[in-house]
Amino acid sequence: MRLYCYLFCALLLFACGQNETPPPTEQGKTRVRLALNWFPEAEHGGFYAAHIHGYYAKRNLEVEILGGGPDAPVIQRVSTGAVEFGVTNADDVLYARAQQAPVVALMAPYQINPRCIMVHESSGIERIDQISNITLAMSQRPAFSHYLRWKYPLEGVNIVPYPGNVSQFLANPNFAQQGYVFSEPFVARQQGGDPRALLVSDIGFNPYASVIIATEETIAQRADIVRALVEASIEGWEHYLRDGQETNQYINSLNPEMGLDILAYGVEESAALVLDPVASEKGLGHMSSARWNELHKQMVEAGLIKAEGGVEGAFDTQFLR
Amino acid sequence: MNTRALITQIGPPLFFFAFFVLSWYALVEFFDIPPYLLPGPPRVAEAVSTHADRLIDAALLTAMGALSGFALSFAFGFAVALLFSQSRIIERGLYPYAIFLQTVPIVAIAPLIVLWIGYGLQGVVAVSFIISLFPIIANTTAGLTQVDPRLLDLFAMNNANRWHVLFKLRVPNAVPNMLTGARISSGLSVIGAIVGEFFAGYGTDDFGLGYLIIQTSGQAKTDYLFACILFCTLLGLAIFSAVGLVSNRLLRRWGGE
Repeated sequence: MRLYCYLFCALLLFACGQNETPPPTEQGKTRVRLALNWFPEAEHGGFYAAHIHGYYAKRNLEVEILGGGPDAPVIQRVSTGAVEFGVTNADDVLYARAQQAPVVALMAPYQINPRCIMVHESSGIERIDQISNITLAMSQRPAFSHYLRWKYPLEGVNIVPYPGNVSQFLANPNFAQQGYVFSEPFVARQQGGDPRALLVSDIGFNPYASVIIATEETIAQRADIVRALVEASIEGWEHYLRDGQETNQYINSLNPEMGLDILAYGVEESAALVLDPVASEKGLGHMSSARWNELHKQMVEAGLIKAEGGVEGAFDTQFLR
Repeated sequence: MNTRALITQIGPPLFFFAFFVLSWYALVEFFDIPPYLLPGPPRVAEAVSTHADRLIDAALLTAMGALSGFALSFAFGFAVALLFSQSRIIERGLYPYAIFLQTVPIVAIAPLIVLWIGYGLQGVVAVSFIISLFPIIANTTAGLTQVDPRLLDLFAMNNANRWHVLFKLRVPNAVPNMLTGARISSGLSVIGAIVGEFFAGYGTDDFGLGYLIIQTSGQAKTDYLFACILFCTLLGLAIFSAVGLVSNRLLRRWGGE
């Protein structure tokens, strides 16, 4: 019996001990990890640019960028300390904080969320509120799909799970689906389809996208690392939007599914979404309380989170310019 | 069953259940585990009561998909096993493809099935059917073919034709095996229905447990997720027990030596 107690305690201690900070590397750089929320793509371009163009290295950071995928548990990995930083979207930050996960948003590259609803040009639908009498594929994980259903009647619309590809869209003229404005529509057009991308942000639901997150503890205890990472990431994004070719080649080598053509298109389209008038004036990665409060209000109205706490502590702008 | 027998049957599982819940509660409290990682029993209970309506509706929908898939797999599986029992060549030729049904990863082919069969209940039933088919085929075929040779001789001596042998000897002999296969398939059919729902859905306002699982895990609502998992488990248990009850009835009539 005692043996089992000892074994159990040893296992627990072992499990607890897994989250220590990694030791500094040989050249005196600090090694940190950045967990992405999807496979390496244009939406992560700035981070990869910072990596390969030495912006992180210049600040004594060795950043290991961990690719994600469907169901990438970014919030959990950051909250438990398995990784120091993560990339996610603003609505996921609010969901997480509502469940007492102590994550904080630090920097928001995408001022305009790239999420879109892709319809057929032949359907004649030109605005999201006009969507009716079709099959619409949306994932129920992120907040936008729930918000859309709450806000619009969507008469005659059959909502089905998001298939992760465009084959259903191409096969069925009465089909629409979610997508990222520089991704699915490009692929659909390449394969002969007639996509029209309707930006979800146009209806007023616009969470910041690809935001960097860290825990409250990391920010309090390792502010210098956080500052280095945020500043270098901003520089990386600026570089990526100026000249993303080398970065895209690197991304393509990591994720061959992403062709260089779609990556190039991604950079082009991202420029307007990242360096919108606000970011051009206030700096890339800017976050405002007004935007966060609005998102919180929308999510509460749609019944997605409770109102308690508001956006208190959800984001921290001290590392931005 | 008298009271004493009832207590000895239900007592031990209940006891271990209580022990498990208490340990879980102690673990969460002692290590101060945050709710998004591991919610304690009180939180999960609250999630169950808050969302009870939705959970029950979802469970009923998933049950519909699972039972339909199970019924289809039982009927079709039985027919295939009958065919296998009648022709060694067909059995040898097609059995490997039946095995394929078991080894193919369901999560990989479910999207394909939905693409071919369509969204909604039909897609869910199709996935549930595919995943529950193999145990029926395998077990029923074994029961139909593994007959005591002396009984086969007895039938031959009495000039029984192929159909006599099949329906008066092989099928009764196969009943225990069939029911074993049914018990296995009943659990698989629930898994199949849930996986099917991940890809097929039901429509705008109808949500099965699979849909809720994806939604709650994406929203980090782990307590609600645990409540969904609890309902999935209960659903599986209910179907398994129902099959077990029917099985015991039938075995009492058919299976005894």
